[in-house]
Amino acid sequence: MLETLGDLATYFGIVLMGLLIWAALSPFETLGWWAGWFGEKIYVDNLPSDGFVRAVRDDSRGYILFLSGIGRVSGETFSRREQGFLQRLAVALPDAVIIDDIFPYSVNNLALTGQPVFARFWRWALRRKIDGAALAGNLINLRNVLQVLISADRRYSPIYNQAMAEVLLHGLLRYNYDVNRKTPIFIVGYSGAGQMAVGAVTYLRELIDAPIYVVSLGGIFSSDPGLLAVDHMYHIYGTEDWPQKLGLIAPGRWPLFAASEWNRARRQELITLLNIGPMCHTSTGGYLDIKSLLPSGVSYLDHTVAVISEIVRKHTQLPAGSNSFSITDSTSVQT
Amino acid sequence: MVEFTGMPSLWQTIQQAMRLDQNIFADIQRVPGGLGIALIIVSLAGLSESLGQSVILFINRVRPRRFMLALLITAASHLVGYLLWTMTVWVVGVYVFGQTVSLTAIACVVGLAYAPQILAFFELTPFLGNPFSILLSLWSMVAVVMAVQMGLALELWQALLASGLGWAFIQIWRRTIGRPIYALGRWLQRRATGVPMEFTLSDLSLLRRHRAWPENLGNWRTRMSQRDLRGNVGKLFKREQPRA
Repeated sequence: MLETLGDLATYFGIVLMGLLIWAALSPFETLGWWAGWFGEKIYVDNLPSDGFVRAVRDDSRGYILFLSGIGRVSGETFSRREQGFLQRLAVALPDAVIIDDIFPYSVNNLALTGQPVFARFWRWALRRKIDGAALAGNLINLRNVLQVLISADRRYSPIYNQAMAEVLLHGLLRYNYDVNRKTPIFIVGYSGAGQMAVGAVTYLRELIDAPIYVVSLGGIFSSDPGLLAVDHMYHIYGTEDWPQKLGLIAPGRWPLFAASEWNRARRQELITLLNIGPMCHTSTGGYLDIKSLLPSGVSYLDHTVAVISEIVRKHTQLPAGSNSFSITDSTSVQT
Repeated sequence: MVEFTGMPSLWQTIQQAMRLDQNIFADIQRVPGGLGIALIIVSLAGLSESLGQSVILFINRVRPRRFMLALLITAASHLVGYLLWTMTVWVVGVYVFGQTVSLTAIACVVGLAYAPQILAFFELTPFLGNPFSILLSLWSMVAVVMAVQMGLALELWQALLASGLGWAFIQIWRRTIGRPIYALGRWLQRRATGVPMEFTLSDLSLLRRHRAWPENLGNWRTRMSQRDLRGNVGKLFKREQPRA
């Protein structure tokens, strides 16, 4: 029995050491990009529009960049819930361009399944994840979580977030964003992409002289300089969503550090916290769940769409929708 | 696994040194292969530390081949640092505390004190690397004090004093007689990297990789029509050296 326990401990130690080595090696992609090791290209998945999302619109009044959570492997939206969310958002905001083909966990928008060395491994992981195997999906999540931590780490964040800003600008330009018109930009960061959204703003602000808003959908983010660079940030969260509290690991999010970017942004009223109901972080009961209903009978998905579309309307002066309500500095939003 | 007569394996020696086991610090002075083990540990620590500090090479955009060369030179400089520590501890032990101890014995224990630095590579870990580097510094300090205590057969307070004196001597040496040697080291690194090495970590927030963007964006827009946008976005991106 002791031998078995000893073997178990040894295997656990080997796995743990492997994970730690993986974590320590993870910044090399970002650092190598800065050093010019991987060239200058920003990769694009060339996904056709479905008529709602990724549609080029002339005279658009707002550009919405959707950055998905840590389960992504490329710029392609595989999640049906996310597809449904984006289509509904497009219907609610017909004058907005919605862009979702950005992979926020790569410095040059290169999909995991397109990497030169580990593409086969990630394609295998993706196939296994789609088939339902949890471990493969967790490997993808872990890899992307490390990129989120890189974006939050002050040693690497200037590099990673600059890269992300370039990818976002590249995405906007691909959809005919006119920098002279200064059309408002809304970066919707879901889950871990909340950090990517916030981090990129500091540098996107230097490239575009237009209003930039961040909508954090259950977003997990640190106290980032981007919080002071946004025109406004909306942090949308559900009462049952505990993962969004992981951002509180960052000391700058604590009230104790009054001079942190987060606390300064709060004092400057750059951040609005929106409790939109009993949603959890993802899947059933999550923000994008169409089957779970609020007491009013509105699905969680429709309510999330309504909240975000109201935010966009408020800052683009589009006409209000039929189920609109006021986005204030209060901490809860009720239909 | 390397086996030395009278000593545990290299891996076990490293483990015991990391656990700050006093016995291993005593044993390494007595066995014939002790200095060899110490040098291996110092080399491993030097390589790990040079990897852990390699961010500076990336910031200055060192190319891959020169990157490897720069790593080796940094690792070699840690060996020079090890020799300096050894000499300093021996001089303090013999001339300040009047101990009779061989330079080889000191070299063995000081080398063992480098064992925690084998983990220096993990300082690169995002978010957790910073607190880990603080932990590693404290861990290494304790290891150095233990090495001095066991090597010079001193009491704890004497070992603390000796370590402090050794550190002070090194700081003075670096700023006086040692300046040409450090300058030579920096020159060698610049030659190895092939770049001026002008930027440090603190410069990172000021550096921009594509600084010509704002100017390019305006000119580019006047040249391209709206229809051409999607097909010509790539022409906007040009390679630039980072500028503060």
